[in-house]
Amino acid sequence: MMNEIVLEVKNLKTHFISNKGTAKAVDGIDFVLRKGETLGIVGESGCGKSMTSLSILRLIPSPPGKFVDGEVLLNGKDLVKMSNEELRKIRGNQISMIFQEPMTSLNPVIPVGEQIAEALRLHQGLSRKQAWDKSVEMIRLVGIPSPEKRAKQEPFQLSGGMRQRIMIAMALACTPEVLIADEPTTALDVTIQAQILEIMKDLQRKIGMGIIFITHDLGVVAEMCDQVGVMYAGQIVEHRDAKDIFNNPLHPYTQGLIGSLPKLYEDQEELQIIEGTVPSPYDYPEGCRFAERCPFSTDICVQKEPSLIQYGDNAKVRCWKYTNEWQDSLAKEVLKS
Amino acid sequence: MFLFIIKRLLQIVPVILGVTLVVFLIMQMVPGDSAVILAGEGASKETVEQLRVDLGLNKPMHEQYISYISNVVQGDLGNSLKNNQPVLDEILIRLPITMELAFFSILITVVLGLIAGIISAVRPYSYSDIGVMVVALLGISLPSFWLGILLMYVFSIKLQWLPVAGWDSTAHIILPAITLGAGGAAIVARMTRSSMLEVVGQDYIRTAKAKGLAEHVIIYKHALRNALIPVITVVGLQFGSLLGGTVLVESVFAINGLGRMIVDAIRTRDIPMVQGGVLVASLVFVFVNLLVDTMYRVFNKRIDLN
Ligand SMILES: Nc1ncnc2c1ncn2[C@@H]1O[C@H](COP(=O)(O)OP(=O)(O)OP(=O)(O)O)[C@@H](O)[C@H]1O
Ligand code: SF4
Ligand SMILES: [Mg+2]
Repeated sequence: MMNEIVLEVKNLKTHFISNKGTAKAVDGIDFVLRKGETLGIVGESGCGKSMTSLSILRLIPSPPGKFVDGEVLLNGKDLVKMSNEELRKIRGNQISMIFQEPMTSLNPVIPVGEQIAEALRLHQGLSRKQAWDKSVEMIRLVGIPSPEKRAKQEPFQLSGGMRQRIMIAMALACTPEVLIADEPTTALDVTIQAQILEIMKDLQRKIGMGIIFITHDLGVVAEMCDQVGVMYAGQIVEHRDAKDIFNNPLHPYTQGLIGSLPKLYEDQEELQIIEGTVPSPYDYPEGCRFAERCPFSTDICVQKEPSLIQYGDNAKVRCWKYTNEWQDSLAKEVLKS
Repeated sequence: MFLFIIKRLLQIVPVILGVTLVVFLIMQMVPGDSAVILAGEGASKETVEQLRVDLGLNKPMHEQYISYISNVVQGDLGNSLKNNQPVLDEILIRLPITMELAFFSILITVVLGLIAGIISAVRPYSYSDIGVMVVALLGISLPSFWLGILLMYVFSIKLQWLPVAGWDSTAHIILPAITLGAGGAAIVARMTRSSMLEVVGQDYIRTAKAKGLAEHVIIYKHALRNALIPVITVVGLQFGSLLGGTVLVESVFAINGLGRMIVDAIRTRDIPMVQGGVLVASLVFVFVNLLVDTMYRVFNKRIDLN
């Protein structure tokens, strides 16, 4: 069954503690990922996308990072409660990750082929020869010319785009159930980007891999994703079917994001931009974190934090506008004036 | 790489010329006349004068230097003033002893230093880390002759586990090698620790973790190789001060190596002996440096590109 939940994240919180205070980088993230499905995560720089994905595999450096709360359920088993040994069997095997930093994420003194092959030997019990052959095969698959030669080279001999593709080959080598891809195609030019996305989709069809796709690029979201989670200030503010989010965004922040997209067939005087700045993770306001920038903000928004509520059958949104309290709050405001 | 080695070999020539010149000048300047010392007390003026002529000491300095260099090029380091034996023969007896001492000392520097550094880096700020680093600090601050005497007192005199001095058996090597290698080991330990800690925070270590690799694979395969690059340089630098240290340690443990030979020769104003000894010592030094630099390049291929 394709609709089986493979990964569920509940109330995930990761904070960074330093002498500057506590940065609530990830502050109560919830989402589900189903088999064969792609969940896009979008949001401004610094909203906590990368830290969320690192938290899932418990890769946050500690100190200063600190896991505060939450559950990460892979097929119902909580990664948070696992021993390191159990977790190692999952890392790189059932859950793989493509990191945002392609230039520095490969070991500079180990041939790239070996960096792919070592995971194959570890998780799939392949022999040296088999693992190497498979590794070369993966490098070919991601479209790097003369893979036999490239496999023997060290990262400094490869271009940034090639390194990114090596990372992708590495993540896909063990056919994971969940692939976390943190801006996997940012370093690549458009044709290669399309090619890589195709490879990912292809593998997804074959093995039913679930993908968490982190990106800035809403165009890629439209093309790749089934679901979208919009993040703002360490939280998910809207969770939607991808096809709905462009036509009918619910959260004012999402509306702003969509509104800031250039539209190809419409005559636009100017692009909308979201005014104001993101609050500091060291000092989030008590109420809605978007209140300062929100055109609809009212008393209740500033006083109380909205929670992520179900809206209709398959949407979730974190905004007072879609609650009963909203009407009361508006009424009160009218009375006051 | 080949070109690099050739280039470095050519650089040896000016180094050798410089070293011989400096030693030559210094030996001219130090008080004490070799001819007088050689002739012995109570020798007549004529004997001393005759000796001076025989040895060529009456010629102008630059002539002495040029004739020395041309002899050196032909492999003749002159004869000792003390017993008129070829300097080279004596050096060939002494050098292997010093090289053996240096080899075991550098072994201690590298092995002890790396192990201690890794222990520290794996659990930073733990008791084992703090313990190792305190010992390392001691190792750096203790003068080696003091350490040598201390070790000798404890292990040779009190416990009687090891021989006091000399150079006849493997047991004789242990204390001098530790004495000479300890300071370097401490420096290597500190360097390894800081280098490891830096490497462990790098993105590619996170990648290795995300792959599910075990901690020891991450440390020994992924982290250590990168962390070693700066450590190799430190070891190379240590080798220089270690060669210098042989002089002291050979004296403390009464080992008849090259260092002690030079010291004795200075004491008796045996100029050819001093010059020959220093020349060979600096040759060794230069070759070791070349070796270290070559190794550094092999380890860190990226340098070759730039
Ligand atoms: N080492 C750290 N110390 C303190 N705070 C940190 C640290 N690393 C991350 N943070 C905090 O976590 C927040 C989220 O960072 P994260 O990298 O997840 O952002 P992102 O959404 O991935 O942004 P981008 O789109 O730029 O990649 C940052 O705003 C920062 O305040
Ligand atoms: S809760 Fe209020 S401030 Fe926040 S997004 Fe909704 S309307 Fe805007
Ligand atoms: Mg990021």
